[in-house]
Amino acid sequence: MTELQKRDLFPGALEMMILKSLQRQPEHGYALVQHIKRTSNDLLRIEEGSLYPALQRLLKAGLVRARWGVSATNRRVRIYELTPAGKKHLEVEVSRFEQMLEGITRVLAPGES
Amino acid sequence: MSLLARIFRRKRMYSELNEEIQAHLQEKIDELVTRGIAPDEAARTARLEFGNPNIIEEDSREVWHWPALESVWADLRYALRGMRKNPGFTLVVILTLALGIGANVAIFTVVNTVLLQPLPYKDADKLVTVWGVNKPLGFDLDFVSYPDYLDFKAQNRVFAGMGASTDEMYTLTGAGEPAALIAYEFSPDYFDVLGVPPLLGRTFAPDEDQAGKNHVAVLNYRLWKSRFGADPAILGKSIPLDGSPYTVIGVMPKSFAYPPDVEIWTPLTPDPQFAHRRDNRWLRVIARLKPGVTMEQAHAEMQTIAARLSSQYPETNKDQETRLISLRQMTTGDVRPALTVLLCAVGFVLLIACANIANLMLSRAVARQREIAIRATLGATRRRMIRQFLTESIAFSLVGGALGLLIAYWGAAALVAMFPPTIENLSIPRIESLPIDAWVIGFGVLASLVTGVLFGLAPAIQAGRMRIGESLKESGRTAAGGAAQGRRFRNALVVLEVALSLILLAAAGLMIQSFLHLVRADPGFRTDHILTMRVLLPDQKYKTDAQELAFGQAAVTRIQSLPGVESAGTVTFLPLSGWWGTREVTIAGRPADPAAKNPRPVWDSVTPGYFVAMRIPLIEGRYFTEQDNSSNENVVILSASLARQVFPNDDPIGKLVNIQGVDKPRRVVGVVGDVYQLGISVRQTGVTEDVKSEVYMPYAQFPTHLLCFVIRTAGDPVSLAKAAQQEIWAVDEGQAISFVEPLSQLASETVALQRASMVLLAVFAGLALLLASIGIYGVISYSTSRRTNEIGIRIALGASRSNILRLVIGEGFFLTICGLAIGVAGSLTLTRFLSSLLYEVRSNDPLTFFAVSVVLFCVGMAACFIPARRAMLVDPIVALRYE
Repeated sequence: MTELQKRDLFPGALEMMILKSLQRQPEHGYALVQHIKRTSNDLLRIEEGSLYPALQRLLKAGLVRARWGVSATNRRVRIYELTPAGKKHLEVEVSRFEQMLEGITRVLAPGES
Repeated sequence: MSLLARIFRRKRMYSELNEEIQAHLQEKIDELVTRGIAPDEAARTARLEFGNPNIIEEDSREVWHWPALESVWADLRYALRGMRKNPGFTLVVILTLALGIGANVAIFTVVNTVLLQPLPYKDADKLVTVWGVNKPLGFDLDFVSYPDYLDFKAQNRVFAGMGASTDEMYTLTGAGEPAALIAYEFSPDYFDVLGVPPLLGRTFAPDEDQAGKNHVAVLNYRLWKSRFGADPAILGKSIPLDGSPYTVIGVMPKSFAYPPDVEIWTPLTPDPQFAHRRDNRWLRVIARLKPGVTMEQAHAEMQTIAARLSSQYPETNKDQETRLISLRQMTTGDVRPALTVLLCAVGFVLLIACANIANLMLSRAVARQREIAIRATLGATRRRMIRQFLTESIAFSLVGGALGLLIAYWGAAALVAMFPPTIENLSIPRIESLPIDAWVIGFGVLASLVTGVLFGLAPAIQAGRMRIGESLKESGRTAAGGAAQGRRFRNALVVLEVALSLILLAAAGLMIQSFLHLVRADPGFRTDHILTMRVLLPDQKYKTDAQELAFGQAAVTRIQSLPGVESAGTVTFLPLSGWWGTREVTIAGRPADPAAKNPRPVWDSVTPGYFVAMRIPLIEGRYFTEQDNSSNENVVILSASLARQVFPNDDPIGKLVNIQGVDKPRRVVGVVGDVYQLGISVRQTGVTEDVKSEVYMPYAQFPTHLLCFVIRTAGDPVSLAKAAQQEIWAVDEGQAISFVEPLSQLASETVALQRASMVLLAVFAGLALLLASIGIYGVISYSTSRRTNEIGIRIALGASRSNILRLVIGEGFFLTICGLAIGVAGSLTLTRFLSSLLYEVRSNDPLTFFAVSVVLFCVGMAACFIPARRAMLVDPIVALRYE
């Protein structure tokens, strides 16, 4: 029932954040979740259930690639890392997001008409 | 990832995904445990926080799906399962579909073979036939004279090639029984114009139309096979035609049959005595358009040439024009209107079937409300549900269509009977088989798909619209809003069915009436109890008139003496055979006026017994007798129409007339009834008047090579066939006899197309009636069963049985009357397209309309009867308890 899921974030936000996290360093699924939670100071909580479909979409689009490795806890995990295409896509998405943010900020600025 | 890589690695991907997700979960649990929570508590919390791993896995997998295809496949499997669960329903639907689609495909095979497939000549669409228009005589389609043909050919700039032909008959002797061959004489380049290369050997060389070089022949494939055993060494062999040796120079391929029934081709050799005359019009001309030239341009050019000739040769060519008809139109023109009507009719039947099935599916959808509701709550979108319903209906229609193809296969075999093989002069193609080729199958698939969508759309949209909350209620009744809309739609469907049925019934009724008129119309002679045979005396053997005369008289005398023969005679051109000739008739002694429009009747040379055998009535004067021979005065008999034409104000008896091509004037001794030489039903292209004016000469005074025997028998004519032939062979044992058949059979064949159309249309109309009545029954029955409560209440409140009856019948009455009204209106507008097929019946004949309306009305009311009875028998207590 993906359509009825409530998304507080706009579509694409999750993918953007995943890509950004992976830009910092390649990680596996669980670590990604923790990373985003930590970096956003707990302001953003992603439903872990939506993580994996998002990762698959990124895989399908060729923006990340995956390989099997070992986690810090010696567990066999699948580690994702950014591809060059993913890097480029991230830059484009971030700049668009910043434009949008600026626009919204201006409109919401108090007193201005 | 590339598509190919994806396909191969899918399975591995899925298992990896599974592993990954389990690992994630495990990691989560571990972390909780390290924080001090108990393992099973940790497991539960982790799972809660994470979500259902199965769903997550499925969602992740779905990213890689081809969603459309996969779910369509799932829908299909679901549909098939549903079909198996309701075998009764499935059977009804599939049978109805098979009949409807099958009938359509069957008719399409005819359309395909006759109208759509390319003619077997090179670039056949560029081939046109060239005719004259003889304005002074009122001939719409006239043959072309030899000098005119040469001028057309030399002066035009629009045709890449032009050829001329005429029909001929030869007697083939030599090895085997003598046979009369139907032949065509072709100008040397005719084959080139058609553009079909011979199977063996060659076609005519440019100089082979000259005397001395023209005894060459090209054989038809069938003749080569049957007569010469497909001898590969046939080329160069000599065969005797009419006693003269002809060298075989080529054999045409199997598919080449131009014109139909022609067995052999020889070069066109114009008779020097007559061929130079421009007013001697005897040639059929064909031409090939140059690339880029349209029919209109060619026609304009030909008209210019004709005008030029008209001013150059005013005695013969004044006001002569030309007319071009495409070859395809020539060969299929008469069949086209009938086929169009049949295609529409069968389309209507399919529409009615769709309406019925749509109604059926709508009822079924209502019964499946629960299922639909659950699917909706589980997240099926409206679009998804519509798609699922459509998949179901298309599945039904494809299965039905496949079965229909089988029905069409048998049907097509029966339809070949629509094209009788021996009809001359009709623009009906020779059809030996109606193959089911790729086009036909493609049409079948398309028809199935369209049908499926048509009847599937209604329940699909209905399902999409249902309000979920209502349908999950315990009570089986739906909310008022949805049901009312559904009801109106279903009623509309039934009204449509009734209307379409009425149109079909009206059309069928008109065709039946037309056919009956046709068959009962008097062609001027009797066709029962008559045996006919045709004999062509070869030129080489019968060189003189006296020889022909001797043969004819001896043969007739012998046949007349056979037991069981009431009367016998001969005629040159047997009526209904499609053979005919015309000669101008003028009053003798008057100065020849070339501008005058002289009558040009059919001519015949007959023995005295002919009129008696054919029961042609004598109106004035006398029949021929034995005394009308070469030693007595030359006499002639006119048909009534001709008498009126030649002698509008006088009594023709005793007057002298001149007949074209006959040197001495002849005295009129009798007037007989008109005879329709070509039958009533055939509108021959060539003359605009009915071919019933006729001039007769006695055979004893004007013997001919061609003799058609007409033998009236006391019993079954076929029983005397052998004996009659023996008598002819007793006179000349080598003589070929052809077309030995009863006259009634010929008569039947001339109306074969009309008969077939009528039968088919009647069958379709009957089918439509049946389907419409089932439709009415279904809708009334359903609506009544839904109103059981209401009926129970009414009865409890005091309504009598007859009140209930009136209630139910009233609904049916209303629907039927609406359908009738729309149907009558529709018929009045549509049946006018039938008028070209109708004989002496008005396309808005009120009697027919009234009769079929009454029939449909009664059937409609009868269909309401059973549900009405059921309603009357409703027990109010049971009905009210039903919740």
